[in-house]
Amino acid sequence: MASYWFGDVEGGVCRPFPGREPDALSERLDLLIEKDDPYVPFTWEFARECGFVHSREEYVGVLRSLCTMRAEKELGRIAGTPEMELVYMVRMLDQIDEAANLLTGRALEWHAAKDPAFSRKFRELRGQKAREVLAGSKNPVLSSIATEMAHLSEVRSALSREITALAADVMPNTSGLVGGVVAARLLSGAGGLSRLARLPGATIQVMGARIALFSHLRSGTPPPKHGIIYQHRRVHAAGKARRGKVSRTLAAKLAIAARIDYYRGRPDPGFLESAGQAIDRAGGRR
Amino acid sequence: MIWVDGVLVSIGEGGVYGERTLSGKRVWNPYRSKLAAYYHLGGDVEIDRLTRVLYLGAAHGTTVSHVADYAEIVYAVENACIPMRDLLAVAARRRNIIPLFADATRPREYAPLVETVHLLIEDVAHPDQAGIAIANSVFLEAGGAAILAIKARSIDVSRSPREVVDEVCRTLSGSPLVVGKVIWLEPYHRDHAIMVCRKIGPCTEEKE
Repeated sequence: MASYWFGDVEGGVCRPFPGREPDALSERLDLLIEKDDPYVPFTWEFARECGFVHSREEYVGVLRSLCTMRAEKELGRIAGTPEMELVYMVRMLDQIDEAANLLTGRALEWHAAKDPAFSRKFRELRGQKAREVLAGSKNPVLSSIATEMAHLSEVRSALSREITALAADVMPNTSGLVGGVVAARLLSGAGGLSRLARLPGATIQVMGARIALFSHLRSGTPPPKHGIIYQHRRVHAAGKARRGKVSRTLAAKLAIAARIDYYRGRPDPGFLESAGQAIDRAGGRR
Repeated sequence: MIWVDGVLVSIGEGGVYGERTLSGKRVWNPYRSKLAAYYHLGGDVEIDRLTRVLYLGAAHGTTVSHVADYAEIVYAVENACIPMRDLLAVAARRRNIIPLFADATRPREYAPLVETVHLLIEDVAHPDQAGIAIANSVFLEAGGAAILAIKARSIDVSRSPREVVDEVCRTLSGSPLVVGKVIWLEPYHRDHAIMVCRKIGPCTEEKE
């Protein structure tokens, strides 16, 4: 027997599916996909001979509304998950950082042009301090830009807190190892928890080091030791000679953590503790 | 294919992605669409009012919208959420696009929906493009053409594009898809090739 979306064909006899409602057809389709019979090619005329439709136009019309409904439903299901929300939130966060850095740089340049005695050398002029300098500017536009940037920085902190809270819920083990924001960046890089859970540790290790990785593959430059996970304290605080080892261990543990998060969805204190110890050992600390 | 003074166009409702129009027809830009580049470089697989097309990797529906202007029906398979949203918007205004939100590596997920088609177009960025084409060739009629847009750099960056295409050819040999022509899409697209295959059927097989 060959089964199609509109009916079943057996020995030249066709039984049409009773009804046209996309919902009922969609349910039937789910069953067919699950059953996974071998595919026997068909043409739309089968559906006409079946008595399911009378014309090509009708066939396409019913099929189109069925497929559109299914696609919309699936999209809604995926887009509505807290997991995807987390991805959008962390992408927004990174964009805010980028924009804030650009604004600060530009504003300081302008400020420097007005004040010949001003130089960025020998001072850490970032974030709060940069805004204070700009706020003291005599130029009203520059000082109002400083106000706006302070505002943006508040929004950023609030967003970052929200990301941490949501990540602790969506991926408790991964964020337990590297913190919510870095965990969310890994999630965004993989494009979802189901994909992150399927990635090998080695991929997680260099995720976000795309340019270095491809330059390694293409022309044999040294391979990158770390990507996104460099942002984690234990990686960037490790001595240079140890960093590769730490990031390798961390990435391997992250791969396990992502799998626990995806398949179990609950924090595993035993795993978190032993993984934390393994990473500390890799860093030469106990 | 419809040409106006050497410009490839298609006839349909415009404004899909801000494309230019030329005497009321939609310009199909070879720099944006690999399929359009193929026709500009002498591609001869015609799409007409009777052609049924299975399009793998429909993405945002820009190229699909042009194909749909020519074809009878386009079954458009796309696996990513954000492009799918756009594809649905395009399909909502073109009655002959069937949007399929599915993974082209798993044709069984849409098999009960897809009738036999005359033309298979594959424009996916996947290391196993040949395997995907073979798996989807069950939907193609015997003698039907398969147009594969080979994204050499997406298959393997570390090897030269020519090697990658040779590899695809080797994978296809012995499959129902017989490789005919390979057209490199320079100057429109770098490191991309269009490979045109024919599906052998019971009759053509005997002849060979």
